Amino acid sequence: MKKIKNDGSFYLNPYLGGVILGTVLLLSFYISGRGVGASGAVKNTVAATVNAVAPQHVEKSAYYSQFAGGDKRPMNNWLVYEVLGVLAGAFISGIVFNRLKLKVEHSPKITSRRRLIFALAGGLIFGFGSQLARGCTSGAALSGMAVLSFGGYITMVAIFGTAFVVAWILRKNWI
Amino acid sequence: MKEELFASGRNIPNIDPYLNIWHWQIPSYLFLGGLAAGILFFAGFFTIMGKENKMEATVKKAPLIVPFVLVLGLFFLFLDLKHKLYFWQLYTTIRLESPMGWGSWVLMIITPISILWAASYVKEVFPNWDWKFKILKTIEAWTIKNRIYIAWPMAIYAVILGIYTGILLSAFNARPLWNTSILGPLFLVSGMSTAAAVIMLMSKDHKERKIMGRIDILLIIVELFFIIHLFMGFLAGSEVQINAANLFLGGKFTAPFFAFVVILGLIFPAVLEVFELKGFKVPIVVPAILILIGGLIFRFLMVEAGQITRYLY
Repeated sequence: MKKIKNDGSFYLNPYLGGVILGTVLLLSFYISGRGVGASGAVKNTVAATVNAVAPQHVEKSAYYSQFAGGDKRPMNNWLVYEVLGVLAGAFISGIVFNRLKLKVEHSPKITSRRRLIFALAGGLIFGFGSQLARGCTSGAALSGMAVLSFGGYITMVAIFGTAFVVAWILRKNWI
Repeated sequence: MKEELFASGRNIPNIDPYLNIWHWQIPSYLFLGGLAAGILFFAGFFTIMGKENKMEATVKKAPLIVPFVLVLGLFFLFLDLKHKLYFWQLYTTIRLESPMGWGSWVLMIITPISILWAASYVKEVFPNWDWKFKILKTIEAWTIKNRIYIAWPMAIYAVILGIYTGILLSAFNARPLWNTSILGPLFLVSGMSTAAAVIMLMSKDHKERKIMGRIDILLIIVELFFIIHLFMGFLAGSEVQINAANLFLGGKFTAPFFAFVVILGLIFPAVLEVFELKGFKVPIVVPAILILIGGLIFRFLMVEAGQITRYLY
């Protein structure tokens, strides 16, 4: 079940990990009535921050005013708390699987700096896309597909289809 | 034009229907007071047990910050006073029925003790330190000689101070959320838990951290037990107390209370500490900081929510 690496850290069997993730999603629907998500928590945090710094901008903005401003409380949201739980759970997982180290994982052929710049660029594009798609891999694809949402399937195909093509273009960064 | 005149005693700004007089100063002081009480208790306790050389951070290092913590807390209390220049009048009388009187006198006794205690260890922690004046050296020598006799009153007054941080609220009979005697022990245990967290942060000795980790797990379990009993007591009480409890059991304080105080501030750090004791590598800074943040948020929520709860509807 456990693939032990040289440095003593190990990973869970990916199939078992998938089943556990599915169970988490099922429990999430059962307990909270909502699917899991990630980008929504970031979105709400950003909206709350913008609302604290420039409330007038939030009032005028068609995007921000959906989540913040007036008597809306963007931080009082299931996803914000869920992500806090994800961080806590991931931390415990890191302890149990001996992977709790501060490091940048990258191909030996590229520098940490290059890896971080690409991660930042990719994150920016993904964050932008997740707002166009009204959700990310977790919120739109995973949770959406679980409730047989057609949008969820399209998002999943688009995300992984694009990734398949872009991965080939940028393959030198990994292999 | 029809005019209506309302004469009522129920609309007093900032007092009725909702109290709105205690802001960030009070919960911040309660946090700092509890933290100082916890550190002083552990320092006194381990000295009485004769373990001062095995528990260096507990007995010697952590108490060094206590005078600053106490003075900062007292400064926050001072900021909260309406008539600031009359604060000294608290010390012109002894009134056993006045919670503020109790607090003032306990702080009056424990602050100098904490300064003496910390000062007597400054040279041990910073070997190049020089007290310069002869009188200071004499006081230092006297304190070092009589440490064990200072440790006893220090530990006892630390417990009184820790309980007092809760009593300050529970003596407030007009607010149902505060009017429960369990707040005293609850705030004491919570303060001791935050103190254990600070000691773990300051300690470089693995054995000492393990001992404090064990104590902290026990304190967290007791604290959770008190929190459960706090709400059990309310739910078995009158309608106003049930309403007070419901602020945390479905009301507006539910999510921050359970997420930041109960889960991230108590259960999660306790789980991490158990992992640490089991031999897993856990950066101790994470549970320690979470405990401190949880303790602070707990006091903010209790002060804020307590002001909303009331007897007359």
